[in-house]
Amino acid sequence: MNAGLKYALAFALAAGVGHVATILAAPRAIMDVALGKLSNDGAAINRFVFGNRVTQQSRNVVRPSPDLAYASCVYDLSRGPLLVTAAPSPDNGYVSLSVFDARTDNIAVFDTGQFPQGIRFVLAREGQAVPAGEPVVRANYDTGVILDRRLAPTAELFAAADKARRADSCAPL
Amino acid sequence: MAKRLKLALAIVAGLAVGAGSAAWSMKRGGLSGAGAGGWYGNSVTGSVDADPWTRARVALTGLLALNKSQAIYFTTNVDAAGARLREDCRYQVAGAALPAQWWSVTVYADDDYLPLNDDDALSFDATEVKPDAAGKWTALVAPKPAGEGAWASSRKAGEYSLTLRLYQPARSAQDDFAAIPLPTVTRLDCGGAA
Repeated sequence: MNAGLKYALAFALAAGVGHVATILAAPRAIMDVALGKLSNDGAAINRFVFGNRVTQQSRNVVRPSPDLAYASCVYDLSRGPLLVTAAPSPDNGYVSLSVFDARTDNIAVFDTGQFPQGIRFVLAREGQAVPAGEPVVRANYDTGVILDRRLAPTAELFAAADKARRADSCAPL
Repeated sequence: MAKRLKLALAIVAGLAVGAGSAAWSMKRGGLSGAGAGGWYGNSVTGSVDADPWTRARVALTGLLALNKSQAIYFTTNVDAAGARLREDCRYQVAGAALPAQWWSVTVYADDDYLPLNDDDALSFDATEVKPDAAGKWTALVAPKPAGEGAWASSRKAGEYSLTLRLYQPARSAQDDFAAIPLPTVTRLDCGGAA
């Protein structure tokens, strides 16, 4: 094989490896950065943090919606499952709890259309013991984030949603 | 020795080009999926079924997006004529009834965050437009409002994109993105010509 062809092949192979490796690694790397921001650099794990009203200054996560109130619980299941609950908003306003894993996949979502009295479930790794009678979400990774989204397009609706979501819980069983 | 150095350089350059092409693909190469008039949306956004390229693109430009059972997202960065959306132009967004419990249209700057203006008009939603008897509505996306209608501010947005969120979409919409009647984005004028 002539030297030029050898270098060209090495370049092409390395380019392919670099491309695929970056694509595969990016979601976890980006999620790690987001989890750090949302948990105040790890200080708030397995409990909800209630975000302020979204403004042009909101920079924790890309493409925030200014019409929603967000709360987040960065979770770590390495020591056991969590019980997660969310109270409804006044006047049956839209509320959802969504579970994202470390790879960024949305592995479960519940809303108050399905559960008008409030949302409640257990989040656990495969193989972890869970109580009977509770809905269970099984995660493939120890870490990730649960997001509480509430419709709150005005300051007044944000205040009402904020008051309601203070009853949310995300804590070890 | 020189041959080994050249080989190492070829490998390092290849890795760098590969990583660069991945970054480009995540930021700019994902403009595909169902949609019309410049809008694009992907039915596996947020899903465990997403392919690695879709997952990486969503992680970079739409982290924590919901799956389609809860929300469907469409984004456009061009108007109906295919021209890039620009801060100094005014656009009419016109649509019909959308198959969802609630929807909104939000302006995002090219860095994927909200534009740095304090107009308190970063989006308009289903409660702000005034549909006619046939369900048709219009809204304005521009640096300044005009009249009483729904308005989203593009001030300080530079070259920007619009994201349409459909929350609690109808089953028919989840099953067939192409059947969703997406709004049209028509340029009215540019450079303060109004």
